[in-house]
Amino acid sequence: MHGVKRRQWNQELLEQKKLNDAKNINNYRRLTSTILGLKEKKEYSLDNLQKSKELLKINPEFNAVWNFRRDSIIALKEQLEAKFWEEELDFVMAELKIYPKVYWIWGHRVWVLNNYPGSPVSIWKRELLIVSKLLELDARNYHGWHYRRIVISSIENRTGESMDKEEFEYSSNKINNNISNFSAWHQRANMIPAMFANNEIEDKKKFIDDELKYITNAMYTDAEDQSVWIYIKWFLNSDIVSNTYTTEEYVKMIDDVKQNILIINQDDLDFSGKENAWCLKMLIVIEEISKRFGSQEECRTQEYVKKLIEIDPLRKNRYLHLRNKT
Amino acid sequence: MPSELKLHKEKHIQYIDSLDKKQSDFEYWLSEHLRLNGVYWGLTALSLLNAKDTFKREDVIKFVLSCFDDQYGGFAPFPKHDGHLLSTLSGLQILATYNSLDALTVIRREKCIKFIKGNQLPDGSFQGDRFGEVDTRFSYNALSSLSILGELSSDVVDPAVDFILKCYNFDGGFGSCPGAESHSAQVFTCLGALAIVNKLDRLSDHQIEEIGWWLCERQLPEGGLNGRPSKLPDVCYSWWVLSSLAVIKKLDWINYEKLRNFILQSQDEVKGGISDRPDNEVDVFHTVFGLAGLSLMGFDDLVPIDPAYCMPCSVTKEFKVYPY
Ligand SMILES: [Zn+2]
Repeated sequence: MHGVKRRQWNQELLEQKKLNDAKNINNYRRLTSTILGLKEKKEYSLDNLQKSKELLKINPEFNAVWNFRRDSIIALKEQLEAKFWEEELDFVMAELKIYPKVYWIWGHRVWVLNNYPGSPVSIWKRELLIVSKLLELDARNYHGWHYRRIVISSIENRTGESMDKEEFEYSSNKINNNISNFSAWHQRANMIPAMFANNEIEDKKKFIDDELKYITNAMYTDAEDQSVWIYIKWFLNSDIVSNTYTTEEYVKMIDDVKQNILIINQDDLDFSGKENAWCLKMLIVIEEISKRFGSQEECRTQEYVKKLIEIDPLRKNRYLHLRNKT
Repeated sequence: MPSELKLHKEKHIQYIDSLDKKQSDFEYWLSEHLRLNGVYWGLTALSLLNAKDTFKREDVIKFVLSCFDDQYGGFAPFPKHDGHLLSTLSGLQILATYNSLDALTVIRREKCIKFIKGNQLPDGSFQGDRFGEVDTRFSYNALSSLSILGELSSDVVDPAVDFILKCYNFDGGFGSCPGAESHSAQVFTCLGALAIVNKLDRLSDHQIEEIGWWLCERQLPEGGLNGRPSKLPDVCYSWWVLSSLAVIKKLDWINYEKLRNFILQSQDEVKGGISDRPDNEVDVFHTVFGLAGLSLMGFDDLVPIDPAYCMPCSVTKEFKVYPY
């Protein structure tokens, strides 16, 4: 159970609940025993499909009933009209809107689309619009993003064309709406290597330059947010960057990022009297990279670690570990 | 806020004991599809509280056996429901906790193994049942189940491990399938599975450092842990994150005291049980994972728990260590 406020039950409320529950239990148990009976006898019919719908509306987590539904659909496939499949998708969507975090409902939707007569690309393209709508309601829904990737790969498989670029742009949109949307940063960090690997970028150097501007802007926008920093940490260490830039360009880029981080950290110090923990953590990462490139600059990791232990004591032992490592 | 928080052991035992007596609540019937999992959570919580005898052993074993799905093999979460890897693991965990795996007949044992192995797909992943949903949760269910049965073998383990490693992400976490976002619960399933089959060495030192970093960033100022960046803290993540840290031997990378406080503040001091966060409704799921977290940190004299199996160490030490 997640996010349900604890209630104080007084006698009156309890009595009322008991009354309601008794009625609900009766109906639910009767329906359950009917459906499980039909299931056992493998009695597949349009009528029984309707009954299973009733039960699923009450309890969408009842996996065995979804199974009965799927087995029924398989058995009845020949006699199902085109209209049935659309109705099934409508039913699933209505459930998803009420219960957007129930695995079984998402799973059933994928199954329906895969078993839809011919499973044409048109239904998957329509699905992409639908999942985009759902991700507007909850831009971090884990199931929603997972589902989106399934839809994308189904479209790609049917058209033979990569949608990496579209997905990259989708991630920009989502991040521009909310910079803390790590789901979108995650998608971005997966799309870029794919676009490089599949030669989908004309001017690679310009692409990296632009991305650098994008993340620099992001770190100034919200320097408290770990989503941005986790992405930057990946980007700075990524082969894509080090292979696209010359060593000279790469070293300069790392130094530019470092200067920006120092500025942000100083701003935080001036403003709040405290240094920014993520800035310090990133400075340690950057020193590691610089060292790999033979930087002669004085190493300040020990100093950063000391400060981190003070301003971020929750993770003290990791910092002590870093201190002993360097 | 009370200055001195304590773990209300007796209340929690009473709470778990009361769960099967709530048949006049609609919620009791609505959760039938999770019953076997629920029994495992309850039994494990009681084991950690050193109160295993609260449940009647014979009754529980009888119930577990009544959940076996003779048509497809494996355990269903409730009689007449369908076998699934999720409930199969729960069934086996309960039997193992009672040291009564031999309650399974030879035929059912074979069916069960066949069911688990039969759900492995060519890429090494596992589907939960014949309808094709793939998730690293199911990889964990399968490998842990086979380990409990002492039936791991390289033809299953090697591709399963390859698949799990493909779910490792750039940020140091693991997702539900390749390309999926990192999530604490998925990190547990992936690391737990690797630990069970003794393949943690497939991760580089650098990866282990990154994983530890990502995991310790889950702790929020209020002490609780979250599942992903910018999400709320939740008691069940005490388990997903802590067990993962324990598996990679970096348990102390988060602050114990603060996490303990967060868990204890989530207790219902009146009727027992632990909720996802303070002042929310309790359930057996958060009760066991809250207790398991406290046990891993060594608080409150709880029975030690095995981070990879989420069962008492006294039970898991009897399992054959793979490779056999
Ligand atoms: Zn939870």
